[in-house]
This record gives sequence, structure tokens and C-alpha cells, in this order.
Amino acid sequence: MTSHNTPRQTQSRTEAQYAAEQTKIQTYTTLQSSLLSHISTSGYTYNPEAFALTTKILRLNPEYYTVWNVRRRLLADGLLSKRSSGSSPSTVLPTTSATSDTLGSSGSSSSYQEGGETPVSRESPGTEKGGRSGLQLEKTQQDDAAQESSTAQKNDQKVLTDELQFTIPLLLASPKCYWIWNYRRHILSESIFRLPTPVARRIWLEELGLDSQMLTRDRRNFHAWGYRRYVLGMLESKELDGKSMVEEEFKFTTDKIKGDLSNFSAWHSRSRLIPRLLDERQAGNQERRSFLEEELAFIHDALNVGPEDQSLWFYHQFLMASFTPGNEQYAIVTDFSTTEKIDHLAQEIAEIKELAEDYDDVKWIYEALVEYTVTLGQLRKLENEEETDLRGWLGRLRKLDPMRQGRWDDLEASWKL
Amino acid sequence: MPGNNFSSLPDELQLATAAHVKYIQSLDTRKDEYEYWLTEHLRLNGLYWGLTALHLLGHPDALPRNETIDFVLSCQHDSGGFGAAPGHDAHMLYTVSAVQILATIDAFDELETRGKGKGLVGKFIAGLQNRESGTFAGDEWGEEDTRFLYGALNALSLLGMLHLVHVDKAVQHVAACGNFDGGYGASPGAESHAAQIWTCVAALSVAGRIDLVDTDKLGRWLSERQTPSGGLNGRPEKKEDVCYSWFVLGSLEIIGKTHWIDREALIKFILGCQDTEKGGISDRPGDAVDVWHTVFGVAGLSVLRYPGLQPVDPTYCMPKSVIRRVLGK
Ligand SMILES: [Zn+2]
Repeated sequence: MTSHNTPRQTQSRTEAQYAAEQTKIQTYTTLQSSLLSHISTSGYTYNPEAFALTTKILRLNPEYYTVWNVRRRLLADGLLSKRSSGSSPSTVLPTTSATSDTLGSSGSSSSYQEGGETPVSRESPGTEKGGRSGLQLEKTQQDDAAQESSTAQKNDQKVLTDELQFTIPLLLASPKCYWIWNYRRHILSESIFRLPTPVARRIWLEELGLDSQMLTRDRRNFHAWGYRRYVLGMLESKELDGKSMVEEEFKFTTDKIKGDLSNFSAWHSRSRLIPRLLDERQAGNQERRSFLEEELAFIHDALNVGPEDQSLWFYHQFLMASFTPGNEQYAIVTDFSTTEKIDHLAQEIAEIKELAEDYDDVKWIYEALVEYTVTLGQLRKLENEEETDLRGWLGRLRKLDPMRQGRWDDLEASWKL
Repeated sequence: MPGNNFSSLPDELQLATAAHVKYIQSLDTRKDEYEYWLTEHLRLNGLYWGLTALHLLGHPDALPRNETIDFVLSCQHDSGGFGAAPGHDAHMLYTVSAVQILATIDAFDELETRGKGKGLVGKFIAGLQNRESGTFAGDEWGEEDTRFLYGALNALSLLGMLHLVHVDKAVQHVAACGNFDGGYGASPGAESHAAQIWTCVAALSVAGRIDLVDTDKLGRWLSERQTPSGGLNGRPEKKEDVCYSWFVLGSLEIIGKTHWIDREALIKFILGCQDTEKGGISDRPGDAVDVWHTVFGVAGLSVLRYPGLQPVDPTYCMPKSVIRRVLGK
């Protein structure tokens, strides 16, 4: 119903194809109705047969979100150890009430709503805290309890890693399926309050590795980049005995960019890491200035080889925030005097003009020249020559990029030259 | 369609309305196709997409009203939320589609008399708001995304129940998802993406807070989504795709900047993605059609004032006439 990159079939199915398709439908719907009947007779009580059915269905159709939910409920009911009432907040893992009698009934949704908490949330990792007290209990209780607990942990560790293994081939086949990513998120969050922290941490680190691999396969995968931010946030959190990983991650974006300058996702990530990076380095004014210089040099090198790449220009704009009135929120250097801003702007404009000599038909160059000159005009009065340049560049834009004529009209109208 | 002279347009600029209507009507009769079964988890969304396309195409009665209501109500749970189809768990995405469908065919009263009532639907949606951050989860498992936040504001405003949630907090969250390029992502820190931008901008529009958008920066980023093919992509350096005709164009319409792209070129691109014989629109020319690209292609054409189409509301992706009736504006 939402197909992408699938060629249109012009021929109708042959008889053999039709028959084969009916067999596939038969297999699929039989699995589906078997699972439904399991649920309607025994709810979400763990049953190996029902669990195996979820495996089969999800391999055929990883988009079937309800079956992922069934699998979570079955896991919680039978495969994973039962957690004592004190070992975790009830909202972390919604338990399904016995009244759930159909596949669709969501008896547990009310517990989510009452709690008003998210089972896993990057913003509030504190919701996982209960699990830690469960682990600490183990150290203080008597030996047999500890023994039992450690067996339970070993079991849980195996169950959770098996679940992660199960989803890897599905993820490789459907890297843009939200539900697979969500399911892994759920399993990982279980590891935090079921396993000793070092063990859980190792699992999360492996997840970061997997995510890196996914980004090697598809450098722009939106899901993988978002998921990465989430995994990093957890790896940095108290829950996993974490500390900041901003330096490593900044380096990750450098590597990604060096491998492929057009990776806007990596440039974006870099722009979001920089404020934290500088804060954590406790960078002073001087350090911030040299950092900005280095980044400008980095982007200039990139622009020199790929000026038609809009990713680079968006990042360039980001760096220019330090010289642009009204963009203080994104500024790397926050204490530039007006004179310094003017000097830097003029210098950037000069660099880009040079670029225009080598690539005179790249519209991005003229867009940048126009934008930074207009910014310059906010800091001091433009000279006649500069105004003439502006008009000339706008003319180039109209010619090179006629699709956005309306934008150039509005731009010209906004000038009070 | 009387009163329009678009029949004088060249063939490649003709919208194959009759074929599209037939295609949408046929969607629920394809039970001998494996794809039909594999996409059951999208059934209620699909009904919203098909129904909306039909209304925009000027054929609002092409699907039987009673069966539509019956199906929608059969997806509702005791919690008030809706699943994709009977037997599927409740989720924000389907609950929003259910509300949109019932609003479109003017059937909220049926929700009261034969369903579980508007109140419970509102309660289900409101219960998914993260009271700390203001954003929304999709369901009890807690995955959060600006898509769900938008869906919540969309459906609650149609139901007249926005007071059930912290709209200001939701607005703050959307603002926190903003990026230096003027766009918005799925969560704070996430890369700008045309579909997420539409959900964020439309959410701000529902909340009456478009003033928070940097329209120049955003308009620029959005206008750069148009590729030489005339089509629009969702992010820099990606391929054009008909669904972004909606996400990019709807956002541009909300901020009043559709004239920043080439209208003619986009119309040609969308029309070039039609299957003029069997009906339906695909992501790119020559690809398989589906109802998702069909509705967003038609809605895009409506924003572009293609002749003969009903005007679409850019905030709701529903006919303007419906929004006027439901919201009284
Ligand atoms: Zn698409």
C-alpha cells in the first residue's frame, strides 16, 4: 500500500503465478488465524507454539505490528524471568491483564496511560531506575536467592540476545521498517533492568556497532541515524554507567563525511554535536575561534571539490551563524564584535567569489554570495559595487535556477537597495 | 467536470480521474493478491487515503458510506483507540485515520450511537501524551515521534477536544525539534525530513503557532526539494518521489510559499506517475501504483490548483469543505 522503487507490472499473472500466489496467501493466512485462535483461547499466556507462530509470521511480514506486540507479551509472560514486584516500576513493562481475550484487545494500554510514562525514553532514562535496585538486592540477599537470581539473569540474557539475533536478518531485509527498530529498542531496554550493568552495557555497545554497520550499508538511513542518537543517549546515561561519548561520535561524523562528502545526515549530526563538544571541552573564546576556523577550512576543502552539493552549503550556513545577526542560537563563537563579523563575512565572500571563477554555473555559489552579502548589509551599509554584484548574482540565479523564480522575486523585493 | 477547460490540455497533462476512482474502488476486492494480506496493518490508513483521494477527485460517494462506517467501528477497542483492522492493536496512527474518515463522511454521531463514543477516543489519544516533554507516543509501548504528536492534535481538534492535552507543551516540543536549516526532525536533534516537517508545521498550524516557524529558512530548504525532474524529494541528495509532493507542498502552502517552486514542472511529474489505464499513482514514473501515492499525488495537484479538483486543506490533508463544516471555519 506504500510501495517504493517497485517496477509497475504490465503483464497480468500467468495461471502458474496466480496459483503460486494463492498458495502463499493460504500459508500466510493459516499462520495468522492459528495465532489468533491461540490468543483467543489463552490470551497472552506463554506457549511455545504461539511464540513460534509469531516468528514465522514476522519473517513473512515484519510490518505486522500487532504480532510484534504479541511477541513482547509472550516473552514477558513465559520466556523472561518474572520480576519481583519491587524490582521494576509497573509502567516499564506493561503487563497484559488476563481479561485480554482477543489479539486486538489492548488491556495494557490503560496502565501506560495511568503511568503517563514511556517505557523507554531518551529524555527520561530515570524511568528505568527501579531495575537497578533489583540488581542491588542480589548483592545483599542470601546465597540461594543470589543463585536463583543469577540463573534467572543467565536465562534472560540468552532470551534477549536470541531476540536481537532473530531481528537482525529482518532488519537487513527491511531497514526502514519502524517496528523492527522499535522491537530492538524494547529488548534493549529490558536488558537494562534484567542484567548486570556491565553485561547490559556490552549489549548496548554491540547495538551501536550494528547501527554503524547499517549506516555503512545505507549512509542516509533516517531510522538508523535516529536510533543511533537514542542508543548513544542510553550509553551515556547513568543506567549504563555511561559517560559522554561526544568526542567519539564527533569523530564518527568526520569519518562518515570523509568517506562521502554528500552525507547530509552526517553533516547534520556534526552540527548537533558541536555545541556539546565545545561545552564539554570547556572551550574558551580563543579555542572556539580556532575550532570555527578549522571547521571553515574543512568545509572550504569540501566545497572546492563539490560545490554543487547542497549538503555542504547547508553546513556552511550553519558555520556562518557565528557572523549572522539573529542566528546566535547556533553560533560557535558568541563574542565576535561587529567588526570581526564584518571581516569574516568579507573573507568568506572573497573565498566563494574565487570558487565562482572555477565553477561559474553552480547556482549554490551565487545563492551563498547573495545571502552573505545581504547579511553584510545588515552590519554595515553596502557599497555601490557590492549592490551591483548582488544584482548580477541574482541575475545568475534566475538564469541557472529558473524553477525557483518566485523565490528570486521575493528575494529581490525584500532588498531595499 | 463542467466549467473547466482542462480537456483541452495535451494528453500527458490529463488527470485520469475515472481510472483513479475505479482503482480506489477496487482496492478491497484484491483478496487474491498476496500484497492485500501483507498490508492488512495499513487497512484503516488505506481507507482514509482512498476516501480522501475520492473526495478531492469530486467523487465523494464512490465508496459505500454504511460499509465504511461499519469497518471503521469494527477496528475500535474498548480503550477507545483504533487498530489497523479488526484484530489489530490500537495505535495513534489508526485512531487518527478513523477520526479523519468519520469527519469526512460526517459520521461522528455514529461513533456515539454505535461506537464507543468520542469521549473515549479523546481519552485514548490524550493518554499517550508524555506529560513531561509534551510529545506523544504511538501506543502503550511508548515509541515517540512528531508524527504521533501531529496526529493527536489533528484528531483532537476535529473532535473538539484539544483541551484534553497540553497544547503549549506539545508546541514547545515541536519547537525543540527545529534545526538550523529551518526544518524539523522526528525528535530533538533529528535531521530535517520533509514528512516530519509537514507533521511539525501542521501541528503548529493546528495550535495556531505558525509564528514560531522561520518561514524564509524553511521555505528555502523546502523549495530545494524540487529536482530537475520537477518532482520533489524528502531530503537533500535523495530521489524525487510523489509522496513528497504532499509533504513539501503542504508545508509550503501552510507557510504561503508554494510559488517558490515550479508549479508546471511538478504537475507534469505527478501526472507522469499515473497509471492512466488501470488507475493509481506511483512514487516515480513507471513504478507500481499504490493508494498512498495516489492520495498524495492528487492532494499535491489540488494544492497546485489543478483544474477540476476539490481544494485540500494543507494542515489536515482533507477536503477544505470538510474542515469548514467540522471546525466551522
Ligand atoms: Zn513515496
